[in-house]
Amino acid sequence: MACARMVKHLRLPLLLLLLALAAECNSMSPPEKPDKLGCRSPDKETFFCWWTPGSDGGLPTVHHLYYKTEGQENMRQCPDYHKAGSNSCFFSKTSIWVEYTVIVEASNALGNTSSDPLTFDLMNIVKPFAPENVTVVVNIEDSPHLTIQWHTPSNIDTKSGWVTLKNQLRVKPDKSKIWKNYASETQTHFTIYSIDLGVVYMVEVRCAIDNSWSEWSNTTFVKVPNFSRKDNSFWILVFSLCLIPLLAAMIILILKRKTVKKYILPPVPSPKIRGVDVQLLKSGQSEDVINAMLLNQRFPVMIPWKDQKEDYLIVSDKETSYLPLEKKKIFILPLAMALDSEVQSKETSEVDHFPKDSESSSEESSDKTESSQLLTKCSSANVLNDEKANQLKGVTEKIFQPFGIGGYVDIPRHEHMQEADYSRVNEVNGDNILIMKKENIPHTLDTRGQEGSVPDNYSMVKEVNSDNVVFLEKHSESVNASFKAKGYIDWVNQKPKNLHMAGHSEMGVCPQLVGCEYVDTVPPPAVI
Amino acid sequence: TNVLNCPLSLLVSVVLVGLLCLVFCSQPTSLDAAPLCTNAEAGCHVLSLANLFDRVIQHSARMHSISNDLHSEFELYFLPSKNQIGRVSRNCHTSNILTPNGKENAQRMAREELTEVILKLLVAWRDPLWHFHQSMTHFHDFIDFSSNKSLKMSDMVHELRKGVQKVVEKMQMLGILSNSVSSLMSPEAFLAPGSAEWRLMKDYELLYCFRRDSNKVQNYLKILKCRIVPEDGC
Repeated sequence: MACARMVKHLRLPLLLLLLALAAECNSMSPPEKPDKLGCRSPDKETFFCWWTPGSDGGLPTVHHLYYKTEGQENMRQCPDYHKAGSNSCFFSKTSIWVEYTVIVEASNALGNTSSDPLTFDLMNIVKPFAPENVTVVVNIEDSPHLTIQWHTPSNIDTKSGWVTLKNQLRVKPDKSKIWKNYASETQTHFTIYSIDLGVVYMVEVRCAIDNSWSEWSNTTFVKVPNFSRKDNSFWILVFSLCLIPLLAAMIILILKRKTVKKYILPPVPSPKIRGVDVQLLKSGQSEDVINAMLLNQRFPVMIPWKDQKEDYLIVSDKETSYLPLEKKKIFILPLAMALDSEVQSKETSEVDHFPKDSESSSEESSDKTESSQLLTKCSSANVLNDEKANQLKGVTEKIFQPFGIGGYVDIPRHEHMQEADYSRVNEVNGDNILIMKKENIPHTLDTRGQEGSVPDNYSMVKEVNSDNVVFLEKHSESVNASFKAKGYIDWVNQKPKNLHMAGHSEMGVCPQLVGCEYVDTVPPPAVI
Repeated sequence: TNVLNCPLSLLVSVVLVGLLCLVFCSQPTSLDAAPLCTNAEAGCHVLSLANLFDRVIQHSARMHSISNDLHSEFELYFLPSKNQIGRVSRNCHTSNILTPNGKENAQRMAREELTEVILKLLVAWRDPLWHFHQSMTHFHDFIDFSSNKSLKMSDMVHELRKGVQKVVEKMQMLGILSNSVSSLMSPEAFLAPGSAEWRLMKDYELLYCFRRDSNKVQNYLKILKCRIVPEDGC
């Protein structure tokens, strides 16, 4: 009896216990509350919410979404559970600037579980979808660039001004890690110029509504080719065509560089001597050179020195006067063959002295050489006889004038010139020797009418040989020949006193020596 | 040669200067830059309506962006937890102003109404923002964050209102808008009788409300622009 009563009392708890045990064994439970509620509006006009359901507790679980706006009291259920996928709710008619409150409830046979409520304003959950149909075109014609185009996500109303979209794109080479961002405000296309050839690029685009950005679009890969073949081949052809004539021109220039050089830099004419070969001078022998120089030259024709009036200068020392005829040495003696022996024997020293002394003055020496030449001729023409030589010899001993080298003889000139009177002339020997009579010559007639003045012009007298031989001086051409004749004649008529003055002999002996050729013009006067 | 170069260089420089002058002198005519006129009757060059709208819309976008930043900073600093029911009572002092809550509603609304709504909103926020800025100076921490932003915000509201008034005047001049819009009325006339409630609003609520209202203004202006001058950008 008591056992039955106990079983009755214990029936309910036992049943419950059994049930609990059964439940635990099957793991059935009310659903967990849904988690992770989220809502999003892609266009600022519609939105959808989603949730993550919890465990269903082993029983079929149903989820319900309830929402309520700011001014309402009751919760309303989701209008569309399917459009946005599972575990989502899609709202097509919405209000903005009002607060929504959304709750998701999971319910199964065992119970309901509600999620945490979510409150939001439409303006805060706006987030567009990523742009669609992103196309990238590579263009390397002019300069390599990428042209990127895309479409805005569908169902976005920008025409009414309700939605303003901003776009952004980013590009990177596939090997690089850094993206390069570009902003494109409301355009749905963009061009990038700074790309490299032969690189694979990745392109992504996204958009924004009111500063709320979408996700990045799917990556688009594009490869930029290495070069433009068409371009290159054209330029290679042009380049090679241009190169060939250039090379040809250069080769020609190099081969003909000498002619080119002559053309550009003409040679400068260098001084040349006619008839002289520079090369010969450089390379030839000395004889060749001399021959070349001499043979080719035309020297001016030298006329042998003939028939020229010779004049010479009698030079003597100042100290020794010529008046006294002394036995002195004469060195303007014909150095010719005739006198050589005597002169040499007696006056060798003098003869030798002569050339030495003549060196003191070139002028004197030239004169002396001239005179020596004269004398040579003279002697060769006239005085080659032995007789004359003897006479000369005698004369030389006695009468020869002393001659000094250093000075000049002052020739006394007499103004009056008397005609020549050859009365005293004994004999004329040759063309310049007069042999006079040995007697005092009286004053004779002067053929010229002059008063008996002795011709005292001894300028013609070169030498007096004894007392009747006079060497006439050769005059220069400027002197009148007739004057010479006169002087000669006058001299012949000279007075004895003059003669005395003149010298030591009684005869008209002239101190001066006489030149050779002078006497040619005068016929030998009659000898008295 | 120096002597020769002197006059030549002078000539060249003169020519260059002349060219530069031409270039720069011709620019103003192409841009049609002219001083803005207070009186459209004077016949001077006035900015186009589309241009005015663009400027105003840009201004409002900037204003909204600042209010958004300020709200986020405030939330971060003072109230770290989010999305809590009953956390705030969404009771803005401008709730009594009927504003279209959607695109269709805004499009259905007449231009004049919409314009009035915009103006009302802008007028309603001038004083609260100023006082908000004043109260913010007491918070030493917050000053470092956003004091200049709050000041900027109050200024912007003021400027935006004036800009919108200009737009309205232009529209009325062009005959687009009827003269029913009382733009010349004093701002106080726009204030609803219960508008003094803003003093009861907490700072955070104020920021939240303003963020919403600045967004409204921006969107209404855009709708208005694309409806009246549907040029580029719509």
